[in-house]
Amino acid sequence: ISGLFRNVVGGKTLTKEDLVKPLKGMEDHLLKKNVAREAAVRLCNSVERDLIGMKTGNFTSIDTTLRTAMEKALRKILTPTSPLDLLREIQSTVRSSTKRRPYVISIVGVNGVGKSTNLSKIAFFLLQNHYRVLIAAGDTFRSGAVEQLRVHVNNLKELTQRQGKGAVDLFEKGYGKDAAHIARDSVEYAAAHAYDVVLIDTAGRRHNDARLMSSLEKFAELAKPDKILMVGEALVGSDAVQQARHFDAAFGVGRRLDGFIVSKCDTVGDMVGTLVSMVHATGIPVLFLGTGQHYGDLRVLRVESVVGLLMQ
Amino acid sequence: MVLQDLGRKINAAVADLTRSPNLDEKAFEGMVKDICHALIEADVNVKLVATLRKSIKSSVNFSNLAPGVNKKRLIQKAVFDELVKLVDPHNEPYKPKKGKSNVIMFVGLQGAGKTTTCTKLARWYAARGFKACLVCADTFRAGAFDQLKQNATKAKIPYYGSLTQTDPVTVAREGVDKFKKERFEIIIVDTSGRHRQEKDLFDEMVQIQEAVRPDQTIMVMDGSIGQQAEAQSRAFKETADFGAIIITKTDGAAAGGGAISAVAATHTPIVFIGTGEHLLDLERFAPKQFISKLLGMGDMQGLVEH
Ligand SMILES: Nc1nc2c(ncn2[C@@H]2O[C@H](COP(=O)(O)OP(=O)(O)OP(=O)(O)O)[C@@H](O)[C@H]2O)c(=O)[nH]1
Ligand SMILES: Nc1nc2c(ncn2[C@@H]2O[C@H](COP(=O)(O)OP(=O)(O)OP(=O)(O)O)[C@@H](O)[C@H]2O)c(=O)[nH]1
Ligand SMILES: [Mg+2]
Ligand SMILES: [Mg+2]
Repeated sequence: ISGLFRNVVGGKTLTKEDLVKPLKGMEDHLLKKNVAREAAVRLCNSVERDLIGMKTGNFTSIDTTLRTAMEKALRKILTPTSPLDLLREIQSTVRSSTKRRPYVISIVGVNGVGKSTNLSKIAFFLLQNHYRVLIAAGDTFRSGAVEQLRVHVNNLKELTQRQGKGAVDLFEKGYGKDAAHIARDSVEYAAAHAYDVVLIDTAGRRHNDARLMSSLEKFAELAKPDKILMVGEALVGSDAVQQARHFDAAFGVGRRLDGFIVSKCDTVGDMVGTLVSMVHATGIPVLFLGTGQHYGDLRVLRVESVVGLLMQ
Repeated sequence: MVLQDLGRKINAAVADLTRSPNLDEKAFEGMVKDICHALIEADVNVKLVATLRKSIKSSVNFSNLAPGVNKKRLIQKAVFDELVKLVDPHNEPYKPKKGKSNVIMFVGLQGAGKTTTCTKLARWYAARGFKACLVCADTFRAGAFDQLKQNATKAKIPYYGSLTQTDPVTVAREGVDKFKKERFEIIIVDTSGRHRQEKDLFDEMVQIQEAVRPDQTIMVMDGSIGQQAEAQSRAFKETADFGAIIITKTDGAAAGGGAISAVAATHTPIVFIGTGEHLLDLERFAPKQFISKLLGMGDMQGLVEH
């Protein structure tokens, strides 16, 4: 009981010692939420710096004070410095009266994270906004990758025809061809046929495979994407940090990732730590969350609700 | 490779300790802490790490050590034993028999590597003289049947599936019945990815299982999975009672501690690991040898058999 009392008395100036135990508890809490240890330690250190020497409010326990500080730190790390309005950017590119050209988005990431599925969800979102979309089958390696996109394109066609919105087609050259060339050709084709947006799928690759990672540089050079989005999955653990770093560094000098899509958020409940790990590793913002296997299962990041899940 | 980094860190922690001139309790505590950090960085379940920490501390019981006891050896053995316990399921996997139909069903989370691995496994058995085939019971994922078909064709493995039938239970039953009649010995059934939060998907898995009555159900797990591994594998265990685990993507950089936690949570053995995207990238798995490799052997030699 005395411990409890000590804890709720407010107006105390916090020392390093006061914080050792609560911070350890907070670190464990973040680890259980699937935040990579590296990111959890960094967050705890920054909160510690903020709190040492601070006076707790009246009747406010150390735990509550720490909690508030951690919420603030999470909000800060997750909130993008320059928010991206994808639709507006697309609009200003494709409606530009001087040099009309298609807006190009390419999707990259490790194997099986949900690149092709979330690319199809983005296509659906663009179709809802009446755009003409070309999907380029840049995964020329994995069995069934081309057919997978064809099924999506056929499904999306049916949906859009029913709703009388937008248009979508597939650009593919089968298997075995160089992805960078297919990407470039798809953009040329799109420009010639008045598509607004090109979505380029790519093969999954391990971030520790130097050969496959280095081919991304040429890919970016030839496709000249307006946006390179990396898909990372919410299920992945500590590897999220290196995945994000290595993909961010793969496109050569002066070219970085533009945003993350964190997929499979519906499979982890409140363990959404991967988001924090990826942003911590790179400072690149999370743009979308994948929340299921259907076309509508794509959300824009709402920082407050993610912070809520993490602190639950 | 999986767990290599972890092995290096654990070795370093143990070596630092045993090299330090005064091997006191504080140094020991420090070592246990380092090992626990390494395990957490490797994605081993946080609660499991806490348990392991307690076990190591109580089995060494530093404050009560008899004089003259070889502390270094004692500590190494305690660490080694706890790690072996983590991956040793105390359960034997099913062994397919020649001359009869062995039905093997694959289950797992979305994108784990089921479809890729089922062809690898069929080829593995085919290379060992079994008559092996594949059934595609994934009618949900776009292009799933094409993917399996193309892999099976490359591997020269007979396959069954449908582009029009939308009920996975029906396809699974038809395929398995057909291949049983044709006296295939290894019949591998690939299913869609699913997760515990969607009850319908789990119900579907049960229905497929009831339709094909597999001799073995295998859960396929991505080697990079994090803290969800435990809850998901437990849920799959409770619902599908899988009897073996295959860890995929071990050629990646992840340390594989999440998948290891699934073994501990379900007492189920890892039977194979996937080591790449190609057909032959599959290796058999043996827990004890694995741990020896993980610990870099060296100092651990001689502690394996006891
Ligand atoms: N539950 C859930 N499943 C998802 C989500 N996004 C993708 N998936 C599933 O994850 C699996 C893999 O998705 P793909 O889109 O094929 O992944 P990929 O990254 O393109 O895979 P590769 O091209 O083989 O590297 C499929 O079963 C998808 O349905 C999501 O947000 N939630
Ligand atoms: N590097 C590497 N990639 C792998 C391995 N096993 C599978 N993959 C890749 O992982 C991705 C997903 O594999 P799939 O076999 O489609 O996974 P799945 O579990 O069938 O996916 P769903 O059916 O959508 O749930 C593909 O890009 C595979 O090539 C492996 O051992 N190493
Ligand atoms: Mg894909
Ligand atoms: Mg599959």
